Amino acid sequence: MRIFSRMPSNSDIDDIGHKYHLEFVLEDIFEKDSTVNCTAEVLYHLGNKKSAPDVQFTIEGELKNTDEADKTFYNRIKSLKKELEAENIPDSYGNVSPEMQPIRALTWAASGYVIWQNSTENTKYQLAQIKHVKQVKRTDEYLEFDYMILLHENVSQEIIPWQMTVLWHPQHGVEVTQNSRQPKHALD
Amino acid sequence: MAQIQKSNSKLVTQHYLGETIENRTIYYLQISQPSDKTKKIVWMDCGIHAREWISPAFCQWFVKEILQNYDSDPKIRKFLQNLDFYILPVLNIDGYIYSWETARLWRKKRSPHMNGTCYGTDLNRNFNSSWGTLGVSYNCSSEIFCGTGPESEPETRAVVQLIERKKSDILCYLTIHSYGQYILTPYGSTTEPPSNNDELVHVAQTAAAALTEKYGTSYEVGSTSSILYSNSGSSRDWAHMIGIPFSYTFELRDKGTYGFVLPADQIQPTCEETMLAVTAIIDYVDQKYFPGGAMMLTSGSLGLSLCLTAVLTLIVP
Repeated sequence: MRIFSRMPSNSDIDDIGHKYHLEFVLEDIFEKDSTVNCTAEVLYHLGNKKSAPDVQFTIEGELKNTDEADKTFYNRIKSLKKELEAENIPDSYGNVSPEMQPIRALTWAASGYVIWQNSTENTKYQLAQIKHVKQVKRTDEYLEFDYMILLHENVSQEIIPWQMTVLWHPQHGVEVTQNSRQPKHALD
Repeated sequence: MAQIQKSNSKLVTQHYLGETIENRTIYYLQISQPSDKTKKIVWMDCGIHAREWISPAFCQWFVKEILQNYDSDPKIRKFLQNLDFYILPVLNIDGYIYSWETARLWRKKRSPHMNGTCYGTDLNRNFNSSWGTLGVSYNCSSEIFCGTGPESEPETRAVVQLIERKKSDILCYLTIHSYGQYILTPYGSTTEPPSNNDELVHVAQTAAAALTEKYGTSYEVGSTSSILYSNSGSSRDWAHMIGIPFSYTFELRDKGTYGFVLPADQIQPTCEETMLAVTAIIDYVDQKYFPGGAMMLTSGSLGLSLCLTAVLTLIVP
């Protein structure tokens, strides 16, 4: 999975919204030396606060091939006797078991979509914790997971519970089929 | 803390600061080399926000490093000639305990509002620095609830009372938070730069560079309002506004991969690198206000007292 740092270089104000040109480096969390340069243009729409910002991006070079790791993870989950279920990843002390690392990577990808859909110029979201994840049995080749994640929003400092349903397949990638913000006390 | 005082009683004294809303006693440690000189003060507080566990860990590490290396590190002895360190390991004790026992991601303190249906003021929005104007909420259920008025919380008042009393001697105010990897200069409540902005930024950049040397961790330097967000009522803004020249907020590791739940194997490296940044700042402050070779005197007087001890040992049967 990739985490990137934001270095905005300038911002264009026009009638439609605020546009930012970004140059940054993608760094592989699981292999810190593996980096790739990236440029992007992000347009935050003025007025229509409900719509997600437009994002255009270019990756200079290639992302690491993860076919082997994807296949291993896919087969492992497919062969589980009982549907996967886990909570508090990481736990209170920052621990993540090796078996849960791929789940965490999948969650980063999926929560990235949720964050994108809900971002404005005044928000800064991070995935804080997987509160609960449960695999949903399927008859087809896809893996499906139902999540309760916690997003940390840096400006308001809120911890926001968010429900999301995620589909994944090694060849077809990640899809968030459903997501909804939960009330703060959804955790109680 | 009592144990630290007991085993280092020559250098460390534990002092009462005040009480939390749940009636827990707040103590700070004063590290002070015995001398008849009046010293200037470096203040550092940790644990304003409950879930930022790496913060109290760093205050403890700092105390340990100073005391452990006092005998072997001439730089530490030089600092302590003219500077006293006041270290408050956990200000928000109630919140901290709550985050260990009940809710790991709790941020605020545990003051009850609205008949106990809502808890907690954000202590770092409760100070009297443009209180209640920007980057706050007046709603108790918000994580940035600024309280019912400036200094409405006993924990805030406890800090304010002590610092007000000693402010003419305090050269440096440091407050430790996580996460984000920033050294933040004033202000959060306005984009107007402080009077000593250039110097503040320069010193912070030196500190950040020293930090990066250790493990390659990179920190950003700048004012809260320019690189982070606007916020009023912060302790750091207040400290600078009442005249403490070197006021900084540290946001320690990481940048969001683990966020508040930093794993145990990163505690020591974080503390080690942060120590380099903090000592860089103390070093600058020390050189600025106490320039010159005060070192020589210490070696001399140490030598003298060693001699005396030897002589006394011989005389006493």
